[in-house]
Amino acid sequence: MSIVARPGTEADAILGASPRVVYAPQSIDEAREVVALTGRERMRIAFVGGGTDLELGGPLSGLDAIVRTEGLGRIVEYAPSDMIITAEAGTTLAALQAVLAKEKQRLSLDPPLPERATLGGIIAANAFGPRRTRFGSVRDLIIGVTIIRADGTLARGGGKVVKNVAGFDVPKLMCGSLGTLAMIATATFRLHPAPENSATVRVPKQSAAGVRTLAARIKAAQLEPTSVVALSGAPDRFDVATRFEGFGAGVAEQCKRMAELHVAEGQECETLAEAEATAFWQEHDGARTQGALRVKIAAPPNGVETVVRSIAPSFETLESPRFVWYPTVGLGFLTGTPLNAKHSVRALTVLRAGLADLGGSAVLHAAPQQIRATEDVWGPSPAAFAIMERMKERFDPQRRLNPGRFVGGL
Amino acid sequence: MLQSASQVSPRIIAELAAIVGARNCISEPAALKTYECDGLTSFRALPGVVVLPESTEEVALVVAAARRANMPIVPRGAGTGLSGGAMPVPGCVVIGLSRMRRILEVDLENGWMRVQPGVVNLEVSKHLAPLGYYYAPDPSSQSVCTIGGNVAENSGGAHCLKYGFTTNHVLGARLVLSDASVVDLGGPVLDTPGYDLLGVLVGSEGTLGIVTEVVVRVLRKPEATRTFFATFPSTDEAGAAVSAIIAARIVPAAVEMMDRLAIVAIKAATGVDWPDVGAALLMDVDGPLAEVEHTAAQATSIAASCGALEIRRPKDEDERQLMWRGRKSAFAAVGRISPNYVVQDGVIPRSEIATVLREISRLSAEFGLRVANVFHAGDGNLHPLILYDANVPGEEAQAEHFGGEILKLCVRSGGSITGEHGVGADKAPYMAEMFTEQDLDTMGLLRCAFDADNRFNPSKVFPTPRLCGDRPGKYVPTPLEISGEAGRG
Repeated sequence: MSIVARPGTEADAILGASPRVVYAPQSIDEAREVVALTGRERMRIAFVGGGTDLELGGPLSGLDAIVRTEGLGRIVEYAPSDMIITAEAGTTLAALQAVLAKEKQRLSLDPPLPERATLGGIIAANAFGPRRTRFGSVRDLIIGVTIIRADGTLARGGGKVVKNVAGFDVPKLMCGSLGTLAMIATATFRLHPAPENSATVRVPKQSAAGVRTLAARIKAAQLEPTSVVALSGAPDRFDVATRFEGFGAGVAEQCKRMAELHVAEGQECETLAEAEATAFWQEHDGARTQGALRVKIAAPPNGVETVVRSIAPSFETLESPRFVWYPTVGLGFLTGTPLNAKHSVRALTVLRAGLADLGGSAVLHAAPQQIRATEDVWGPSPAAFAIMERMKERFDPQRRLNPGRFVGGL
Repeated sequence: MLQSASQVSPRIIAELAAIVGARNCISEPAALKTYECDGLTSFRALPGVVVLPESTEEVALVVAAARRANMPIVPRGAGTGLSGGAMPVPGCVVIGLSRMRRILEVDLENGWMRVQPGVVNLEVSKHLAPLGYYYAPDPSSQSVCTIGGNVAENSGGAHCLKYGFTTNHVLGARLVLSDASVVDLGGPVLDTPGYDLLGVLVGSEGTLGIVTEVVVRVLRKPEATRTFFATFPSTDEAGAAVSAIIAARIVPAAVEMMDRLAIVAIKAATGVDWPDVGAALLMDVDGPLAEVEHTAAQATSIAASCGALEIRRPKDEDERQLMWRGRKSAFAAVGRISPNYVVQDGVIPRSEIATVLREISRLSAEFGLRVANVFHAGDGNLHPLILYDANVPGEEAQAEHFGGEILKLCVRSGGSITGEHGVGADKAPYMAEMFTEQDLDTMGLLRCAFDADNRFNPSKVFPTPRLCGDRPGKYVPTPLEISGEAGRG
């Protein structure tokens, strides 16, 4: 078997480390062979899909080769009546959704850049978008996985039925593991019906307290939006968009009630025309992906006022700062380009301290080198770090899969 | 499968009693018998000693003591499991968590609640009901089973079709590891950096550690729920109705199917006035009112067009509860029509329902044993109940053999050997039907990262013990095994 390979260049570098060689296996068998062969050669390798989250992680302790998944883009099995799909890891989200759309179904994952983002990358980086509000993250939708272990062994976990408790949940172990335990070869997901209707309601000019109240109001009223997003370009001034999806009558009724709730409180509230709604969700994706510094923030939903106070200093150190907050989920992203690295580092310290008080965390999904030099992108090691270390040791005893890039330098 | 009693040294019993208090340390053979099996009563083994700790600290001290004495540990919730997951292994310490049943903290605005593992599933929802919230996973045993057991088994229930399983509703857990250290996985705030160890823990059947606190997600009650009960000439039409409803982009909260024999049993046990028909569906749709009214109308009209004989809607909440009680009592109800029965739990792709049911019926004729089918039709989770008479020589073995054939059939259809009851001791031999040696070896790596001693619930889940290699903490046989007084598994 001759496997597509070429010399690595600086353009292939991950976090400053350039590989000597880049492999592009065209089948799962070839991928196994690449992983096994690099194992025999003790080469340190990283897996690359669409490259949308390549800036995530700490510096690699070394990189000899990259394994690109672009040649692994096949749909392995799609059973519309069972609402499951299995596809190879290099399949882009957009390509998958296009197949599903023909059957009026969808994978309820919507991270930005779907034309580039691959299934393997989404799993490895635990990427998500606004629909996490209703459908959870990749861990809630993945039901099976095949992986290639560091020695080239192909192994499967989970299955292709939605309900299945046989054996340990290997698929979940892969979620967010950033290619440090194994190469993801294929994944199986549960699907949802594509909604018949969708509408977005905007409540503009909200303070953090207003965002918190709005989320509570939605819950109290038993509305069931599939997305709630608060978007801001200034520390304490949010536009909040709430998207309802489903059958026409249900969507219309929920939009109407959402408006009534807010008008009664003297708030502006409008259901957006389709073009405006599309523009809002594009603006959301733009805010998520812009800037040289992108910080993922986790905090309890009712901590949003503290979060906003804690990011205020960062806002001042960034060019075109944006803050995206998912009010019902308790996650968000602060993005922008640092004007002065030193000031940004100081502001990050304030942010992390504020979040620590809330039991939250801040992970730098992208950051300029000057900031990385002093800030650990992952923050303090989690409580269960010792188990994570042992997990890494079991799966990758030679420490050659994305070495050093994960939490605590794993 | 009754295995001989084993003695634990009085010194160790005294040590354990000093940790948990004498009244919470059980070592009298007669009292130990209570703990010799779980809901799978055909698998029995007498534990060495049972302790009922009341705090995380006590659990950690017990684990440390068991470790020093090199005794295996088997955790136990309410003992309602149906796969022998809580069955003791000879010479073990059973850690029963039933005394740890306090609700510790409720945070509705952030949507979570922190409870001890011995809290009964239904108690969580009862506690939340006056506040307009609930806990979604609803196994049929929910009035007795505990949250800790649910975490171990990744319990499902009728409503997991829309809402997901325990794993989708657990945000955090406090865990005592085999070295007696205590660690928190996850927590109320999402996306703790690092591997998703919580995802690995849920459903690990007590093999990775002892859960002493759980943070569960609590949900706001849906605005409206509509229920209907539809009867059909046979399971073919009922199965077609389920497929058509789902193809119409409706995600029901639950769709349950019962076949003729199951209906007969439920009627005998509960007195519901269901007609004698070939099959019945019980379905819930829930959500915002306008959405639900639309989907309920759609679903009933689809059921009618698929050949429903009759469609009933409960006139009030009491009648609705009665319908659901009928369904949830199905396993026990079968006791009314047969002296003994085996509860099976397998999963098939939903589109295979009709084919697989026909094959089960063929096997039923071949084995000469009746089968009642009750199942979660929306997600293809079958619960064939195989009826037999233990007084007829050979029938019990035949029933178990039949159950095994059904599992193999599920795997051949692209499904799973268990949808919610777990592998436990019962199905460990069938894991190899579904997984390759490499798959099982990979799961073994997870196990070794948590419990390299193989101390927790050894001999469960895996067909053969997965050793953790020549690293510290390699499994060491218990003194009883060495002396030949007790075997493993």
